[in-house]
Amino acid sequence: MSVTIKVENLGFGYGPRTILKDISFEVEAGAFIAIAGPNGAGKSTLIKLICGLLKTDNGSIEIHSRNIKHYSEKRLARKVAVVHQEFVPGFDFTVAETVAMARTVYMGTLGFESAEDKNAIDKALRLTDTLEFASRSISQLSGGERQRVFIARAIAQDTDILLLDEPTSFLDLKHQVGIYDLLKKMQKEKGKTIICVTHDINLTNQYCDQSLLLSAEQQWQFGRTEDVFSSETIERFFAVKTFEGRVREKKFFLPLGNYQQ
Amino acid sequence: MAKEALTLKRLVIEIAICIAILFAVMMLCAFAGSQSISFEKVFMSDGAGGIGNIDRQIFFGVRIPRIILAAIVGAALACSGVVLQAILRNPLADPYILGISSGAGLGAIIAILSGISWSFWGGSSITAFSFVGAVLTVWLVWWIGRFTGKSQVTSLLLAGVVVNAFFSAVIMFLTSIAKSNQLQSTIFWLMGNITEKSNSVLVTACVLVIFGILVLFSISQKLNVLTFGAEQAKNLGVNIKHIRVIGFAFAAFITAIAVSLSGLIGFVGLIVPHGVRLVFGPDHRRLLPLSAIIGGIFMVIADTIARTIIAPAQMPVGIITAITGGPFFLYLLARYSRKVSWLK
Repeated sequence: MSVTIKVENLGFGYGPRTILKDISFEVEAGAFIAIAGPNGAGKSTLIKLICGLLKTDNGSIEIHSRNIKHYSEKRLARKVAVVHQEFVPGFDFTVAETVAMARTVYMGTLGFESAEDKNAIDKALRLTDTLEFASRSISQLSGGERQRVFIARAIAQDTDILLLDEPTSFLDLKHQVGIYDLLKKMQKEKGKTIICVTHDINLTNQYCDQSLLLSAEQQWQFGRTEDVFSSETIERFFAVKTFEGRVREKKFFLPLGNYQQ
Repeated sequence: MAKEALTLKRLVIEIAICIAILFAVMMLCAFAGSQSISFEKVFMSDGAGGIGNIDRQIFFGVRIPRIILAAIVGAALACSGVVLQAILRNPLADPYILGISSGAGLGAIIAILSGISWSFWGGSSITAFSFVGAVLTVWLVWWIGRFTGKSQVTSLLLAGVVVNAFFSAVIMFLTSIAKSNQLQSTIFWLMGNITEKSNSVLVTACVLVIFGILVLFSISQKLNVLTFGAEQAKNLGVNIKHIRVIGFAFAAFITAIAVSLSGLIGFVGLIVPHGVRLVFGPDHRRLLPLSAIIGGIFMVIADTIARTIIAPAQMPVGIITAITGGPFFLYLLARYSRKVSWLK
């Protein structure tokens, strides 16, 4: 398997406050990877570093064996698509118009969609089951629908790599599972490399091949999801005791609080 | 309305229809005025009409140039409003938010008070001074905005507001010490006033404004992406700095031209984009050209009212744009905005 993303001795801080320290890992093409950890551990920061929104202080990030410093916005946008955590309310664009913006880098000077662009947009809408409300305004959608629209946009961008920052926060169980099923489908059928920030350790255990666990104290652990998560690591990284069990041969963890009814 | 995917063909048809309406409105307005002129006389051949064909002279020599001027000013202000609202991601942004108004105003008032009156290439000293004032002020605001904060957009807005307030105070100071005979022209300028300009000024302004609008149209799809915020735009492959600089520079440029020709005409740059957005949706590839044309139509009508309503005297057109534009905008808001459904 070829290496798609290579992170080496990565360090980053906001001013004097160090967030990430000396992180190294490699992501193989077609892998589905989770980034987990407590609040403030730098999960979103790492995503922003990989998609070029932030610049590394130390170390390097390579995508297809090329340092991301050397990518222009345009070239990077053909390799990496991002689903951001927050929805920025702006103008009242429809679902179809929003997804169409994924094709920005492929459009000609006048900025109109070619037949190929339309095809990609249509496919993305179908894959994410968003076609039925394609003409609705994104500000009128529920959280789950909107999240699917932004995933559709990322798919229409036609990149090898998908980065997602907590795509299932605020979603109900059905939609959480729906999004992970969709991502798994993308991985299996389209061969996409997926990196997903998540708080849901149990969904991670079910879906993700490998995991990167970050702590608020700049500790980190990377490996097969099966190996990374255990009652012991979770207690060390999250300061929460858990009950560890297995369902369908996958591990699951039940957090144990200090109080009981 | 207009919710099917936008294609180039569809857009060309819509633009053609709007331009046809613009020309129709311009023709109709050219026949309105304190001096009534007849259709036959205007379009009679020169041989039959002769040199003494006053109707023809009024029509082609006075009214048509003025109407073209109004259309250019309206188009420039509306187009600039569209771009600035997108880049600043602020619905209250208008062409004056970057300090253009106060800068141009200061330039104009200095020209009036100092009594400098020369003309070059058909342009008056007021036109030249206000243009220079506008461009220098935009540059100043841009410079302050760049060096004050990380969040470029916010600091730029703040810099614009502060510079505007400061220069407005200077303008008021200068107005208060002005002689009464200078006061009238100063106040008219500040209220927005379209007057006849020489043909060379007209042609130059026309070419420059249309060029500016075309450049801004070329980034219109990127403006769509930019409304989702800088981070998302960057991840979608947009060079944000590049688009912001082009957007600001050309929006400021066409506004400076408009302001130097007509003084401060409020409301057009704020309300026309919002009105067009309510009716046609937020896609800038359509919003930008249609706002420019509809801004032109709006201004031609407003100027026609301004020069006929108290004829033979003339009213500053800025008064008309605000008085008619406000209620019309509220109507559009009520008719098209889903949030005010109780008015439907």
